[in-house]
Amino acid sequence: MMSAPPLVAADGLSAGYGTAPTVLHDVTFAVRPGEVCAVLGPNGGGKSTLLRVLTGELAPRGGQVTRPPLVGVVPQTERSRLDFPVSALDVALMGAVSRLPWWRRPARADRAAARAALARVGLDELRDATFGELSGGQRQRVLVARALVQDAPLVVLDEPFSGLDATSAALLQRLLGELAGEGGALLVATHDVGQARAWPLVLCLNRSQVAFGPPQATLTRAVLERTYGSDLVTLPGRGDVAVQQHHGC
Amino acid sequence: MPDQSVSPLLEDLSLPFVQRGLWTVLALAVAAGVLGTWIVLRGLAFFSHAVGTAAFPGLVLADGLGFAAALGAIGMALLVAGAVAWLARRQPQAEDSLTALVLAGALAAGVILASDVFGSQARVDTLLFGSLLAVDGADIAFAWLAAGLVLAATVVGGSRWLATGFDPGAARAAGLRSGAPDALLLVLVAVVAVATLSVVGALLAGALLVVPAATTRLVTSRMRTWQLATVALATLEGAGGLLLAVEANAPPGATIAVLAGAIFAATALVRAWP
Repeated sequence: MMSAPPLVAADGLSAGYGTAPTVLHDVTFAVRPGEVCAVLGPNGGGKSTLLRVLTGELAPRGGQVTRPPLVGVVPQTERSRLDFPVSALDVALMGAVSRLPWWRRPARADRAAARAALARVGLDELRDATFGELSGGQRQRVLVARALVQDAPLVVLDEPFSGLDATSAALLQRLLGELAGEGGALLVATHDVGQARAWPLVLCLNRSQVAFGPPQATLTRAVLERTYGSDLVTLPGRGDVAVQQHHGC
Repeated sequence: MPDQSVSPLLEDLSLPFVQRGLWTVLALAVAAGVLGTWIVLRGLAFFSHAVGTAAFPGLVLADGLGFAAALGAIGMALLVAGAVAWLARRQPQAEDSLTALVLAGALAAGVILASDVFGSQARVDTLLFGSLLAVDGADIAFAWLAAGLVLAATVVGGSRWLATGFDPGAARAAGLRSGAPDALLLVLVAVVAVATLSVVGALLAGALLVVPAATTRLVTSRMRTWQLATVALATLEGAGGLLLAVEANAPPGATIAVLAGAIFAATALVRAWP
């Protein structure tokens, strides 16, 4: 079967900030509609830098990038503005703003879409709650609802499972699967090898691309060692590997 | 015979310059009250202070060269707003330092122009701190025009200001890449800062532009209620400060600023009380 053209792709991409040295080298991958790709790597490995390039926030230093004009973003919830006087519904409704011409305000239909998105992430009852007073997991789900309202063909999520309780994580996992089933392409940045195994594709980064492909073929011990270096440990008895967590940015 | 206890207030209210002042204050409460919430939300308090101050050399120039004061003030305010915005875009991490530089430069330029070039030192106090006697029909019209512009911009562009302020990265990724809404916000800050000059002067624009919104932010948790509460509080502080100033023969700008500051302090104390 002929596959659809990639929705998001990079070819020999490199990126960096300002006049500082390049922090990400030689990234080449392609993700098609309906595919979920985990972006795996240690803190400082270049995951967030790649996401910034793909959302248009950062210009690439070299190589080619293909991306849709509209990208939904689910940032790390700790970076959200908790001081803003907005409800969960207000935040979800922000997803509608970019779809409207500049002279139009969000209308009743947009509010209905925002409510439906909140219901889909299981937060309809908390729609009037102040965003900054919600738990980390609930805020994460509100930001997913905002991306749903945007109706963007590509959604990038930066460490969406970090700090989530088991219920929120299961709900989010199911939701991302549903979105891919509806034809969306998703990139999920994570430092959790277990998470990366849950998706059809994985891109391993450690300041440059280590590997890209289905997790069964890609997540070999050699690849993980190159991705995580000395942070990789073998679990006693099982021969399985895990990553030592360090606190960092 | 009218009751002696109420007559001073009634007398004040019957004075034409007090009536003009109240009309201006009412318009400014709408303009600065609504815009103030955006200023506080988007962290533009220092910028608005600098833009207000920048109007000062413009006013001195207009006074000395004999052209319309509003033209001098708005010209300089827009020039400075544009310069700070342009420089801050190129050096985002240096925005505060750039604003401080511009603020000090504007104040110094105004003082030198007033004292050494035009010799208009007697009017400097009025320009810096406002004067009720200086309020005329054109000031009232300009204040209402500013209020209309702020309301229209908030209705049309408020949801964009909110979305880009809440999450600039996500807003750009979602296609909100135009700098026009943010540029409009900065221009409106300049327009309203100039509109407040007649009552509070160049140095105390923050008394109307920032302090009421910062006060009501302590007790509100939604944009709409915050904006309504700020307009109500700015009206109260503006009108109350103006009448107090008339009674005490004090400068209105300073009286409004002291009243607004005291109400902010009292609100913060009550909020912090266990």
